[in-house]
Amino acid sequence: MADDSHEPEDDIEPEGADDGSSAEAGGNGPGGSRSAFEGGVDTSQRRVERLTNYGIAAAAVALLAGVLVGLVSPTYLLFLVSLAGMYALLSLGLNVQWGYAGLINFSVAAFFGLGAYVPALLSASGSPLPWDVSPIAGLFVAVAATVVLALAIGIPTLSLREDYLAIASLGLAEVLRLVVRNQQSWTNGTNGIGGIPLFFEGVPVLGTFASDVGTVDLGIYTLGYQFWNGLLNFAIVAGFVVVSYVVLRRVHRSPWGRVLRTIRSDEDLAEALGKNTYAFRMQAFVLGSVVAMLAGVYYSYSNYFITPGIFDPIFTFYAWIAVILGGSGSNRGALFGGVVIVAIVEGSRGLGVGASWRLFAVGALIIAVMRFRPQGVLPPRKELIWPGAHRGGETDE
Amino acid sequence: MLATLVAQPSGGVVAGAALAPGLAVGGLDYVPQLLNYFVNGLVFSAIIVLGGIGLSLVYSIADFANFAHGDTMTVGAYAGLVTLGAVGTAGPQLLALPLGFYAALLAGIAAAAVVAVATHYFIYRPLDTDSIGLLITSIGVAFVYRAVVQLQFGTDFTEYDVAVLRPVPWIEAATGITITEHELAIVLVAAVLVAALHVVLQYTTLGRTMRATADNEDLAKVSGIRTERVITSMWVIGAGLAGAGGVFLGLYNQLGPRMGFDLLLVIFAAVILGGIGSVYGAMLGGVVIGMVNRLTPVLSDVGLPIEPAYANAIAFVIMVFVLLVRPTGIAGEGVS
Repeated sequence: MADDSHEPEDDIEPEGADDGSSAEAGGNGPGGSRSAFEGGVDTSQRRVERLTNYGIAAAAVALLAGVLVGLVSPTYLLFLVSLAGMYALLSLGLNVQWGYAGLINFSVAAFFGLGAYVPALLSASGSPLPWDVSPIAGLFVAVAATVVLALAIGIPTLSLREDYLAIASLGLAEVLRLVVRNQQSWTNGTNGIGGIPLFFEGVPVLGTFASDVGTVDLGIYTLGYQFWNGLLNFAIVAGFVVVSYVVLRRVHRSPWGRVLRTIRSDEDLAEALGKNTYAFRMQAFVLGSVVAMLAGVYYSYSNYFITPGIFDPIFTFYAWIAVILGGSGSNRGALFGGVVIVAIVEGSRGLGVGASWRLFAVGALIIAVMRFRPQGVLPPRKELIWPGAHRGGETDE
Repeated sequence: MLATLVAQPSGGVVAGAALAPGLAVGGLDYVPQLLNYFVNGLVFSAIIVLGGIGLSLVYSIADFANFAHGDTMTVGAYAGLVTLGAVGTAGPQLLALPLGFYAALLAGIAAAAVVAVATHYFIYRPLDTDSIGLLITSIGVAFVYRAVVQLQFGTDFTEYDVAVLRPVPWIEAATGITITEHELAIVLVAAVLVAALHVVLQYTTLGRTMRATADNEDLAKVSGIRTERVITSMWVIGAGLAGAGGVFLGLYNQLGPRMGFDLLLVIFAAVILGGIGSVYGAMLGGVVIGMVNRLTPVLSDVGLPIEPAYANAIAFVIMVFVLLVRPTGIAGEGVS
């Protein structure tokens, strides 16, 4: 599964992806104020990581057992895992902005919505626009549109003080939501867009894969069109997650990532070193927005029908919870956060408790994390130790 | 941009005749309509001002952007709903509102203040974090408030059990302005509350210590001011006014669990326009944003393709613009 395959097997072995990050001492992050300098933290961190691993393993075993005894259909399991991947994309994207660069971006939902709307507008039969572009081409148009929107939001706001950036980016995301709701002739307004094709439509083999395979009888389950189609959707989101994760891991360890970490810890220092901090923050903003947008692309092609509801700021806050809970600056934390969001959203649905309890759980979780574990469950490792100075001279690159 | 938007109405009277002759917009006929937008804007402004003061106080004294402030208004509105249900609507009336409604108003103020102070003591104060951590925590607090309201009252819209009124006849006959007695009550009570706040801030020891704490908390502390007490008073005043704003918002529109959260960004726009941390700036910004918000129909009346549905979007764009060109806002204090 995409969501837990990245969990470290051995919690002592340093995992390179997330070391040396950004929860600096006395800095601006929620994970800033107490961290690895305190004695004994290392051990308790190891315990938390072990518990987290056990927890995820237990949940995975429970779900698989549920499948084997016939409680959880394989189609639903695929859906759950794909959904976790979708939230993981949102949080991975936000993690680039907040975790790496310290940008308080409250416009994640705008990019999620854009990622869903652009391909849908271009390729759906229910789209009010005349074009009929293949879904895969729609993905590339969506990337271009995301870059444009990220620049449009970023250019005015990224030079603002951090808390103003939060308010301004939320405001601009709301402006976009209002435009999508009200520009009936471009977006079909609140009626939404239906008839969104499958992502692989028109592609040889994959385009007709789900109907070609037919039904496979496994005794307690019959795997039909729904399952195979779900498998394709899972492959799409898993592909997005793996590519994003690998790319982000690579750039985080690159010189570019080091500059971002410096900016987050001490912007004046980065400026003094001759770095154009505005440009670096802009690059982080655009990169993170593209990753978050991919979540919208998945949503669009797996739901066949979208409404402006996906621009709701709640998706921004879901991404925030995932990142804060996972640990700001930590990619594996962002993946973990995505899994927890799905557990809350789908778990509350499964238990039959309503949206109000879900909202309560989300709010209480934010408060609890900020109160008891501001650095998150899986914070970036050894963030305060200069690479190379740590045990046997481990280096950052 | 602000200047153009505010200037729009006067230009609109002239341009309207030329651009959209079919819309019955033209010349003097349009004046009563314009006055109505203004009066409507004044009523809406009163609510924004009540919300904005508390947001600005929290920003200046507790030093963070409080995303739970809108939901504090919701809490006040629903506390008013419960109280009105309990005391009933019988008895004498003042401005066509039963005395029970004024009891509901007081209950809304009290409930919002109590909830905010409790939140401060149990959630914000034990946190070991900075203003960004508090901001993020306040989002969680906002969700919890809203979730509790939803659990208790459901997600449907509801209304206060007071008669829906026709506009006051003699005002309508004399000036063409349609305003109900309820709307008059909102503006009058808000004015009284704001005046009372002004007196407290300028002429009482509490006000002086509040201003001192907002200015420099450490200096205030070494000067012997009990800043903890000041902060508590700040929460009482800010949330109390928000509670009153919530009750009025429920009277002006209707009650729903999202009512406060949906208004929050508009209030932020007002506070930022006025100058974050400045109470008087928040009042001024509240009036301007409230007016602009309700004057948005003028844009489509004169033929511009901007529907009234974009009223909030215009406020947000103004907000970003102000942050860019003059982050200290109109009043220009409070930001270092």
